[in-house]
Amino acid sequence: MLTEWQLSVLVLLYISPICNEDENLSIAAAMLTRTSRLVSGARRLDPGRLLHAGSQAPQSLAAPLDNQAPDDSPRAVSRTSEKDPVKTFSEACLMVRKPALELLHYLKNTNFAHPAVRYVLYGEKGTGKTLSLCHVIHFCAKQDWLILHVPDAHLWVKSCRSLLPSTYNKQRLDQPAEASIWLKNFKTTNERFLSQIKVQEKYVWNKRESTEKGSPLGEVVEQGIMRVKNATDAVGVVLRELKGQSSLGGFRLLVAVDGVNALWGKTTLKREDKSLVAPEELALVHNLRKMVKNDWHGGTIVLTLSQTGSLFKPRKAYLPQELLGKEGFDALDPFIPILVSNYSPKEFESCIQYYLENSWLQHEKAHTEEGKKELLFLSNANPGQLERLCAHL
Amino acid sequence: MAAPAVKAARGWPVLALGVRNRLLRFPGLTQVRGSRYGPEYKDPQVDKEYYRKPLAELTEEEKYEWELRKTQHIKAAPASKTSSVFEDPVISKFTNMIMKGGNKVLARSLMAQTLEAVKRKQFEKYHAASAEERASIERNPYTIFHQALKNCEPVIGLVPILRGGHFYQVPVPLADRRRRFLAMKWMITECREKKHRRVLMPEKLSHELLEAFHNQGPVIKKKHDMHKMAEANRALAHYRWW
Repeated sequence: MLTEWQLSVLVLLYISPICNEDENLSIAAAMLTRTSRLVSGARRLDPGRLLHAGSQAPQSLAAPLDNQAPDDSPRAVSRTSEKDPVKTFSEACLMVRKPALELLHYLKNTNFAHPAVRYVLYGEKGTGKTLSLCHVIHFCAKQDWLILHVPDAHLWVKSCRSLLPSTYNKQRLDQPAEASIWLKNFKTTNERFLSQIKVQEKYVWNKRESTEKGSPLGEVVEQGIMRVKNATDAVGVVLRELKGQSSLGGFRLLVAVDGVNALWGKTTLKREDKSLVAPEELALVHNLRKMVKNDWHGGTIVLTLSQTGSLFKPRKAYLPQELLGKEGFDALDPFIPILVSNYSPKEFESCIQYYLENSWLQHEKAHTEEGKKELLFLSNANPGQLERLCAHL
Repeated sequence: MAAPAVKAARGWPVLALGVRNRLLRFPGLTQVRGSRYGPEYKDPQVDKEYYRKPLAELTEEEKYEWELRKTQHIKAAPASKTSSVFEDPVISKFTNMIMKGGNKVLARSLMAQTLEAVKRKQFEKYHAASAEERASIERNPYTIFHQALKNCEPVIGLVPILRGGHFYQVPVPLADRRRRFLAMKWMITECREKKHRRVLMPEKLSHELLEAFHNQGPVIKKKHDMHKMAEANRALAHYRWW
């Protein structure tokens, strides 16, 4: 299945025709450095199935990725990975499945005067939680919502090279690298809103730089990208501003976090004195936890649990109680759980048909009934497993 | 069948019904390589289609064979042999040759990643090509694999023969299995040794397979070198007596 980075790329690829910039594509491509999987089998719905009036058919995206200029900053690598679906199929498709349709139905009927509702996508490994989130993000982007997307919260709690003591609050720790990557992501996703939304307070970054009250949010984001030391604080400012202003009704806010169980788990980060860091001591995690609380209105929160990147969780754990732990469950309670399960027989058939149409299944025996039965048996209709099997067939 | 290889050991060899017991003549030796089965043991039939045929449709010989197999001794099927439709003996042999230290899981995953890499590279070329060139681009990794190995097989080989105290490299026609083995061995050795340490095996292997498919690359060059050496030593051909 798609990894979270691929998800964020897909999001950006979908949004870039709306924003219409080549730069978007190159930075979107930057997010694909850590991808490792082809996009899962995507299929237009069979003609017999009813489509909701508002939900879109999977967009066939022939985004030209050949003309990318290499990015200047040393961090962002603007190469698409070899497993990019746009390279292999010259399109990126999603399968429209029941969990995503359910979520879209709820989203269409949200009352923005009520506090933000939390939806949690959960399910076993490889069933399609991340791609359902991707679908929802695409829908909201088409409807011109402001998307606050964290492609993988697990990346914030492990393997961080540089941990600085926070400038804002002495007890917390900054993560400049992750924060600046997220800010670049945010900038390309929500280009239009950056000039519309005005900051409501004055923020002083250091002796020489400060952002006045009433200046556009884009300045805060620029400040964070340019001064990497202030990136985490810039993220905090952005989150606080958006939370405060979404209630005013100028825009609708979608908070989408993949792997939200990372916010309440354990980290593998250590300080210089080799003492373990708790998640709440990381400024990014602290601010994101505040964002995921339902004390604001004017938008929704869609979350995904993920065991794959999680730390110290058993492999078979997939239920919210198991992955979030007591602390996380209490923090997220009440939420609407949405189960994402393996393919139904129709979905499986549809996926195989998509692969056959694109000639992805090249083995001559894969076209036969015997081959399909064997694939069903070997993958148990699990989308991730099926994708891995079909990759080398 | 090859003669069983023997090795000096301390314990007595364990004898079972049907196992060849010629080793009684050589106490202190156990059988190491080669089959432990006697000649009366038949190979197992893993093909599902064979068993799905209804009894009424079988011819006389096939009915006789069915009845015979009920009474014959049958060897145990090895763990690597499956009745899967996707099984390929050449791929299995190649995977075994890649395997190091019995780590079949790793070898199989490397093989799968190689096939995937070959497929993706070909798909990229396909989408970049114009409509006329598309028909000529082969995207099936299995055909590419088989064709590449066939292109790497040498026709004639060199064998060291002792004459008058010196070893001479004599050109000799190779058996089919020796040629297949040499092609696979050269491919794997080339990929293991001539790559940068940061380059992963699937990437290198897929590159070499694609080059061999187009009759280019270092493995094909090695085959041509072997042919040239054989041509150069043509005068020694009469040293061969078989």
